[in-house]
Amino acid sequence: MYGVRMTGFLSAISAAIVPEAASLDAAAREEARGIMDGAIAARRPALRRQLSFFLFLLRWLPALRFGAPLDRLDAARQDRALRWFQESPVALVRKGFWGVRTIVMMGYYGRPAVGEKIGYAPAKNGNERLRGR
Amino acid sequence: MVDKEFDIVIVGSGAGGGAAAKELSSLCKDGISIALLEWGPKLREEEFTGREVEMAEKLYFDGGGFLTKDRSMTLAFARAYGGSTVVYTGTSLTVPKQAIARWNVPGLDWEDVRRRSEKYLKENSVHLLPDELINDNNRLFQTACGKLGYRVEQFPINVAGCRGSGLCNLGCPNAAKQGTLRVQLPQAEKNGVQVVTNCKVESLETDGGRGGVLSARVAESRDGVASAWAPGEYRVKARVFVVAAGAVNSPALLLRSRLGVALPALGRYLTVHPALILVGQHGRAITNYSGHPKSYYCDHFAESDGFLLETCMYFPFVTAKNLAGFGSEHSRLMSRMDRLQMILVLAIDPALRENRVTIDGEGNPVVDYRLTPGVRRSLIASMRASAKILFASGAERVHVPAAEKFFIESSDAVRVDELVQDAHFKTGKASISSAHLMGGCRMGEGPAESVTDAWGQVHGLPWLYVADASLFPRCAEINPYITIMALADRVAERVKTVGLKTMAAAR
Repeated sequence: MYGVRMTGFLSAISAAIVPEAASLDAAAREEARGIMDGAIAARRPALRRQLSFFLFLLRWLPALRFGAPLDRLDAARQDRALRWFQESPVALVRKGFWGVRTIVMMGYYGRPAVGEKIGYAPAKNGNERLRGR
Repeated sequence: MVDKEFDIVIVGSGAGGGAAAKELSSLCKDGISIALLEWGPKLREEEFTGREVEMAEKLYFDGGGFLTKDRSMTLAFARAYGGSTVVYTGTSLTVPKQAIARWNVPGLDWEDVRRRSEKYLKENSVHLLPDELINDNNRLFQTACGKLGYRVEQFPINVAGCRGSGLCNLGCPNAAKQGTLRVQLPQAEKNGVQVVTNCKVESLETDGGRGGVLSARVAESRDGVASAWAPGEYRVKARVFVVAAGAVNSPALLLRSRLGVALPALGRYLTVHPALILVGQHGRAITNYSGHPKSYYCDHFAESDGFLLETCMYFPFVTAKNLAGFGSEHSRLMSRMDRLQMILVLAIDPALRENRVTIDGEGNPVVDYRLTPGVRRSLIASMRASAKILFASGAERVHVPAAEKFFIESSDAVRVDELVQDAHFKTGKASISSAHLMGGCRMGEGPAESVTDAWGQVHGLPWLYVADASLFPRCAEINPYITIMALADRVAERVKTVGLKTMAAAR
């Protein structure tokens, strides 16, 4: 339950961190969520507890400024809220945000199929492409 | 609990453990029994899939994202048959004379390290790639350094039959990279060393003057081939132990152990070559993910400003997480990875007592590391130099983690020094990482300030040696792996000529 709530929230705000996440189909969204679940589950309990607490702050602190939790804000307000965390004068807050964005990016960019969307297509015989120049 | 007994037990199969195993394996024909215990799996060839997240989870501790205590840096080190040699890029350099001079370890001279390094350069098929196999990402760096008057050298690399997959850091899918898994370990096994994978060593203790005894646990094989030992708990005795579990896990193992000697320097003086990535975006596709990713380095600023620059090319997720930002600008840069040129900057960091490995209540390693103001200055200077190289290469825009805005456009190239400032370099926003982990069981004269002597023997414990990068009293100032092998070679020699005899007499 703990992990499910975390990745549920992360999926809800993914597009604010990686805009292309908004256009993922259901299967790709599920795949991204599975990657995030796996990454969180593999971390030590203490780190998972810290992440859970930070996600709570990430969700509810924007309500003080914008009147609604992060996942219910429009795109522009989400972006402003997240940039506040990223640029915080408090290093611990910046680091917490770094962890969150890293997990979201792992979900999106860690999918093998992402390569064809972003011009990344390695091959075992990559040297053949150099010889073909 | 299963009891086992050997003459020599080696812990870890990376550059140090693999080298030690092969050097000591010549004793097997004389009846000496040797086992090597490796935490990670031995992957089958077909398991090197090149899929980023999958391979990172299989090969690296914490999936490649092991965090320091203050969460400001990620450390990348592997657990597998072959250790971190499975995931490095194979750049092979001999440690500079001045670095050994700065180490200042009585009994350790550079000529000896150089001679042993040469042996491994040969054994590991180290050579320069021919020009036609240098991709644009690397060539542009070399040309730009030349234009700017920065000294640039080609990296010799340890490959045989490299096909240029560019997937080195996820394990070579072509069996070309000559890490210990391909060179030293197979030879050691052929000579009679028993290698046990999926085996985590929990602790060590003295065995009443007869050597030592360790406790270990073999886990079920989730990946790779089955371990030589069945899953379960083991108690393993030996006359001599050689610990080569890396700069994080070697000190952690010794800290968990009841050694009966005071070692106040254990875990301390960790150095890591803190690193950052800069990315330049070109207006056209360049060859970057095809071909060997790391062909050139620039040590022009090593003495003056304390940093090195290396070419590099990373995978989608690692690239994404290393950019300092998110949202539309981040996506814009990531949307055409075939147009990206990348540079890795590494700071030459000082060995400070307070940068250290400790253990938590469960015995897991905790790494406490802080950047000094001097290292921050080196990183700022390195980012400025790298941005200039990327613009001199023709990049249209450059992402610098310590710039106020996400992009510096080429129209502002002349303002790089003004735009890249310490005030914009925020830990927790910039992604700082390390794959060169050194120190923690450093060599030196006595136990007050070091853990081992110049031959890797732990002070006060004639049965216990260390043979990996944790021996380094200060950073190597270059990629450390050949130096690790040279030092492990020394340790193996000492075990053969002194260690075994001392322990035989003790019995």
